Amino acid sequence: MNVRGLLFDPYNNAYIVILRDNNNTEMLPIWIGKSEASAISFALERITPPRPMTHDLMKTILDNVNAKVISTVVTDMKDNTYFAKIHLLYGDSEYTIDSRPSDAIAVALRADAPIFATGEVLHKQTSEELERWLENLKPEDFGKFET
Amino acid sequence: MMMEIQDPVPLTVHGVLIDPNTDTQIVILRDTKKTEVLPIWVGTSEGSSIRLALEEIIPPRPMSHDLMMDVAEHLGFSFTKVIVNEVKNNTYYSHLYLTYQGEERAIDCRPSDAIAIAVRAKIPIFVMPEVLERKGSQNLDSWLAKLDSNAFDQHKS
Repeated sequence: MNVRGLLFDPYNNAYIVILRDNNNTEMLPIWIGKSEASAISFALERITPPRPMTHDLMKTILDNVNAKVISTVVTDMKDNTYFAKIHLLYGDSEYTIDSRPSDAIAVALRADAPIFATGEVLHKQTSEELERWLENLKPEDFGKFET
Repeated sequence: MMMEIQDPVPLTVHGVLIDPNTDTQIVILRDTKKTEVLPIWVGTSEGSSIRLALEEIIPPRPMSHDLMMDVAEHLGFSFTKVIVNEVKNNTYYSHLYLTYQGEERAIDCRPSDAIAIAVRAKIPIFVMPEVLERKGSQNLDSWLAKLDSNAFDQHKS
């Protein structure tokens, strides 16, 4: 999946990160908080803030212990909460860490690591729900995220 | 004449105050003798993260700093200490120390992130004496007392 957009949702006073697959056939909108949206936006725009932000620190910690981000995966959705995993290579072993999708995406972008979504999580959203959601968004709701 | 090298001063997190007018929170660090106060302004998410850790509240899903702790636990390295080492233009700088393969490494970071980790990892927080000296001569204790008397959210350590 790729991060295709970052929107502000005025109805919920939250941010939405839009993941889409390479063929643009699948879409996964994930609601996230302001600071995670900032972190993702900075990474997307390749902006280096004056002082390291939380996810910059995370990446630096991983670098310092020679841990490599192999991939991140949005694995499941339960009660409107998405679950993700971060796969790390450390020494000769692979480790899987439970994470929120927002943190996983913020780290993946900094590590230039791929982001995946399982078929299971993609199918948990019916296309009907997505269409309804898309219909409710007005054109002015879409906008480039302002940092 | 030999220069006296001053030791870093150990601090504890006295509490986190919320400034209702701005989108900021204030972490209050105090030395063990309760003579020095170091207030550090932090963002909402960092302040919330510190408060959650102080109150030992485990959120339903791991927050960013919980994730860093999980990574350390899974991979088997540990955070050892935090030192607030500099202040420049009202911005505090700190180092988060970790031990990796027997070697200690210092990672440059914001004090807010360092403190959020320190509280979770139960590791000591220090400040360099010159940073304490530079924070100003105003009587912070009376300022703190004034804040204490208001209905600010705080945690007594």
